[in-house]
Amino acid sequence: MFLNANLFEPGKSKSERSFIQSAVKQNTRFDGRKSNEFRDVKLTFGSDWGTVAVSMGDTKVLAQVSCDIGTPSSARANEGTLYLNVDIKGVAFLDEIQSTHDQRFLTLNSLLERTFRSSRCLDLESLCIAVEQHVWCVRVDINVLNHDGNLYDASTIAALAALMHFRRPEVSYAEGEIHTFSERERELMPLLFLHYPVSVTYCVYKSSSHPLVDPTLLEENAADSIIVLSFNSYQELCTLNAGGTAPTNVRTIMQCARSAANRSKAVVQFIRKALELDAERRLQPNRVAGLVDLLNDTAPMLSFKHLMEQEMQMEVVQQSSCEEPIQPKETVAHEQLHKVTEIAETPMDESSWLPSEQNLQQEQLVEDVPQSLKESTPITATTSKSKPNRGKNKASKKQQLTQRKQDQSDSEEEVTLIL
Amino acid sequence: MSANTSIIMPGERVTLVEDAAKNKRVILGPGLRRLDDKVVASKAGPLRHKEPNTFWVDNYQRRYVPARGDLIIGIVKARAGDLYRVDIGSADMASISYLAFEAATKKNRPDLNPGDLLYARVLNANADIEPELVCVNSNGKSGKLGVLQDGFFFKCSLNLGRLLLRESCPALAALTEELPYEIAVGVNGRIWVKAHSMRETVGLANAIMALEQAGYSEIEKICGNLNGVVQA
Repeated sequence: MFLNANLFEPGKSKSERSFIQSAVKQNTRFDGRKSNEFRDVKLTFGSDWGTVAVSMGDTKVLAQVSCDIGTPSSARANEGTLYLNVDIKGVAFLDEIQSTHDQRFLTLNSLLERTFRSSRCLDLESLCIAVEQHVWCVRVDINVLNHDGNLYDASTIAALAALMHFRRPEVSYAEGEIHTFSERERELMPLLFLHYPVSVTYCVYKSSSHPLVDPTLLEENAADSIIVLSFNSYQELCTLNAGGTAPTNVRTIMQCARSAANRSKAVVQFIRKALELDAERRLQPNRVAGLVDLLNDTAPMLSFKHLMEQEMQMEVVQQSSCEEPIQPKETVAHEQLHKVTEIAETPMDESSWLPSEQNLQQEQLVEDVPQSLKESTPITATTSKSKPNRGKNKASKKQQLTQRKQDQSDSEEEVTLIL
Repeated sequence: MSANTSIIMPGERVTLVEDAAKNKRVILGPGLRRLDDKVVASKAGPLRHKEPNTFWVDNYQRRYVPARGDLIIGIVKARAGDLYRVDIGSADMASISYLAFEAATKKNRPDLNPGDLLYARVLNANADIEPELVCVNSNGKSGKLGVLQDGFFFKCSLNLGRLLLRESCPALAALTEELPYEIAVGVNGRIWVKAHSMRETVGLANAIMALEQAGYSEIEKICGNLNGVVQA
């Protein structure tokens, strides 16, 4: 779409919706991508530390990290704070658009909150200067410059890349005095991470069993439901957000989760490579080009397709194997639900919870659809912890199960959602 | 239309028009206004001139300002008594009476639902009252107006809509050589297209959207490539 897509808000009329539905049925996408194909991600680092512009197709997001010294909360006296703020600019129009804008703002904020804060991706204790007195407050400001769908992925990638790029000055604390070293005295310090989460978005349509990955705004608005999964580079699930009206079964979600886990790993790898290239560039004598160059298209963009060519090929092979009909037996999925809850805190490898290929093929190809739906209901119910319409999902039969799930999830701090 | 156009900014004095006004009457179109004996621009963009004596500023705009007689595409939003509320991209919702359709009577109402697309004409446009639409001409016939079924619909800048509607626009002619299609262009920056198959419709819409960033001079060049876009 065009700059400031808000006025154009596509996908809201009936003809657009039905067109997209039938296009999805025929497996065609508007920009000629396949259903499991991503748009190219491009990163541009600014001349300041912690400034990153991300573009995915026409979706453009700018993230800026800053920090200052503040006081900690009394509950967590030895931890610094991380504050995330999303700003969707350029909306001063009609009522209808205003409401979608507010919705977008809220979901995006809560997604980022859960992906980065609740999953504790930063080592906040390392940001402590003096217990109960002084801590670093890290703030991430995300500006949406243009919206053409999939703001979720763009803003998580932007936030993660900006946090990884950011350097803070070193301080010393003695006798109640803080001394901040300048860049000349001591080198700036990067933030410490516990893990690196990135989200992947899928759109599910009633007319097709194949979810679309990385939707454009048109596809996103016309979708029956949107699934956002955040995975870290160890392929652990950090957030799952599944809303909407399309019936999604365990199989679809697991299928999405599997390719999302691979994708997240690749994206984090890509960000690392991009950071290395940026570091090399900074060592060169001539001044680092900032974001100004974005205006004349001469900026050194670091493109996912370009950097990750080899990995992409591997990924394609993996993804195509995912496309094969997989029929996990009910018990497998169920067992895995528990397994994950038990060992959620330790880093786990893929095989422990993602149904492995051989395993699944050995299983009998029997799947009871209503049963699988019943299985998936508690999942969606637990995910929507913060959603007001949680009550709707709780049919009286499922209530007990849901309740139990939630008790468990409350006891887990490390992982927001338990699969 | 003059080929070499100059870009003017709001507040700029447009001497070109003043000179022309010395020996004949001139018509000032949108974006130009007269202050005593001076002509001043009120919008930014290229100055356009149409023989013999019309001048206007072709500024880039996306907010539609209704004008009487415009053909527009609207989305039905709600039903309110005898009226339907229609979103036409202007500041206010437009309204259309259920009697403003061909062969509609009090008993025989048109079947419109929220989300439907309407190709309609602006009957009334005033800054103080909400715009009113009709789907019939003065003889009570619908002509090409009415509900648009199926197809694909997208929004664009007002300039693109105007550009396609120009008599001399080569874009639609170039597309006609590629494939048969139906198109409805609203001057409110909304376009509806329909071709035989899904793929063709997608290609067609992409081809038209590719014109969005083009200047008048580049259109010829782009039209040459349109078949490539359609096939892709």
